[in-house]
Amino acid sequence: MTELIQFVIDVLALGGAYALMALGLVIVYGILKLVNFAYGELIMVAGYTLFLMDGTGLPWLVMAAVAVLMSIFFGVATDYVAFRPVRAKSVTAVLITSFAFSTILQNAALLFISPRARNIPLPDVFSTTVTIGGAVTPLRNLLTIAATIVMLTLFTWLMRRSILGIAMRAAATNFTMARMLGVPANLIISSAFAISGLLAGVVSLFWLGRIGSVVPGIGLEPLLVAFIATVIGGMRSVPGAVLGGFLLALIDTSLNHILPQDLLKFRDAFTFSFVILILLWKPDGLIKGPASGQRT
Amino acid sequence: MKNSLLTIALLSGLSTATASTAIAEDLLIGGTLSLTGVQAPLDEPGFRGAQVAVKYLNDNGGLLGRQVVFSNIDGKSDPVTVGNAAVQLFDRGAELMVAPCDFDFGGPAGREAQSSGIVGISTCASDPLYSSWSLGDKQFTLSMWNTTMGATAAEYAYNEREWKTAYVVTDQFIAYTKSLSKYFVEHFDAIGGEILLEDTYTNGDNDFSAQISRLQALGQKPDVIFISSYGTDVGVIVRALREIGIDSPVIGGDAYDDPALHENLGETFGNDIYFVTHTWMGPEAGPEMPTFLQLYEEMYGVEPDTSFVATGWDTIMLMAKAVEIAGTTDGTAVAAALEENTFELLTGSLGYSDAASGHAPDKAAMLVELKGGQPVPLGWRLPANPPAP
Repeated sequence: MTELIQFVIDVLALGGAYALMALGLVIVYGILKLVNFAYGELIMVAGYTLFLMDGTGLPWLVMAAVAVLMSIFFGVATDYVAFRPVRAKSVTAVLITSFAFSTILQNAALLFISPRARNIPLPDVFSTTVTIGGAVTPLRNLLTIAATIVMLTLFTWLMRRSILGIAMRAAATNFTMARMLGVPANLIISSAFAISGLLAGVVSLFWLGRIGSVVPGIGLEPLLVAFIATVIGGMRSVPGAVLGGFLLALIDTSLNHILPQDLLKFRDAFTFSFVILILLWKPDGLIKGPASGQRT
Repeated sequence: MKNSLLTIALLSGLSTATASTAIAEDLLIGGTLSLTGVQAPLDEPGFRGAQVAVKYLNDNGGLLGRQVVFSNIDGKSDPVTVGNAAVQLFDRGAELMVAPCDFDFGGPAGREAQSSGIVGISTCASDPLYSSWSLGDKQFTLSMWNTTMGATAAEYAYNEREWKTAYVVTDQFIAYTKSLSKYFVEHFDAIGGEILLEDTYTNGDNDFSAQISRLQALGQKPDVIFISSYGTDVGVIVRALREIGIDSPVIGGDAYDDPALHENLGETFGNDIYFVTHTWMGPEAGPEMPTFLQLYEEMYGVEPDTSFVATGWDTIMLMAKAVEIAGTTDGTAVAAALEENTFELLTGSLGYSDAASGHAPDKAAMLVELKGGQPVPLGWRLPANPPAP
């Protein structure tokens, strides 16, 4: 029983982080039909913001808030620098500009900070543990789960109830039609990037909390995770991204638990085999998003 | 032709401080140390140490009467980039090659050096794959092999501290992480210890929960935990263990010799951790160390923060000593000088076996303890009978 509780907490904590990562990627993809390859760098930006504020004596929550704001800022900057100038012209160009923006941010961190790991301030509460039904778990895991619930609720409310959310959903379904009905395109796209940055910023606090430090290449893993999760869940579906995130965490954690040692080193091969099987079964991902028009 | 050479030199010189166009009389030592990426914590300090050595040599009349130029092209922690950078340096007339740490990243530079017929030395590759067997008769590594590193950890744990049972975690990242565990397990077993559980970790996972479940399912607390991992993942694993109250001593290899890791673990988690590394940056290491520390501070204005700076200095000085004995930079002659002599270095006394026995380094290891996040030297160790590679 203890082990089961432990397992469930582990999966939910990892899955929550994965789901938020995936959500941040899919929100932009849903509208633009373009993957933002500079997405992982938003997590890096939040990490370095925390590092730079270390020692300022500010309360951790303030530092965390500034880190999230920086992540939002760079999310919107991605739109202005990499997407807006070229998005109407060619998909290939946007692919390249988003990669370029990612490389520029990484190299900026390399040049101006350090290629070596830099430590980030973490609140004491992150390293305290709690016992639930005999299972000892870091409080950070429960906080991750709580943050996921809060963020998902907030996000659902925003998308269903607010004008901005309704406009974004309209834009995701049929962008041209939405524009004709008076939805301002640039505002919608920038908002999507801002929300993407918010999600990346929040998830970075918990993701980096596991590591305790930040390196220039830190964004690769979250980008990969988000990408795979959205592919499993359905590239155009918001619930799909969340489901994909949790499912990926479930697959990874289960394999970590059940694979014998000799096979554990090939875990990623098993994970991706599962992903392929899921895609063979449901080529559009588990949850099919709104039938969408052409890329705009 | 001269123009294009200059352009290449300028372009590649972006990543180096000492790069310059090789003039015929200068002795060009090429380097492909990774200043960026996962290798940077090991290679970048080596790069700094190497520059101190080059300045020292030039201040004292150069090598064979020629000024030494050290030109490093960032290997970017990518084997293909390392290989290409090495080729580029040989095109520019490099006569010796400083290869990056570890077989996976340093190997390509070693192979290119071998095919150009010159001597290459890796600053800290410790996997026994980094040998004349796999790379050729002109390739060496400055580091002890993992046979020594793993056995030193095993002997310290079992003989000195009487820790009888061990739990071993192996990161499946590269040859280094895998073989370090292998030799620890082999030797710990051979001298009478018991391995309770061997577990696997995937670099970059940042999730150690399944492994912890398996450890807890043992129902027995191990006397010591051996973790062979790399980069920030060492910190992730130690944190994960300590956070939930597993306080057994942790022991590992030279990947722990990174001030960022010590700071990351801090006062809370940075206790009862031991690691085997190349040397200690203080007078405890040997008589030569204070001189180096002074030269280093003159150049950079700060004290070195990891022993990997010494591997850079040692690699250049080892090359210089061997070239002086040989009287030439010719690969065969320098390799012979390296095989036939014993060298006193910051990282200890070093001798090599002949090419037929792999250029196995005969070298002692430094043991360091982490106390309250601060490293404390425990002294040199040489395992009695390390396992065969």
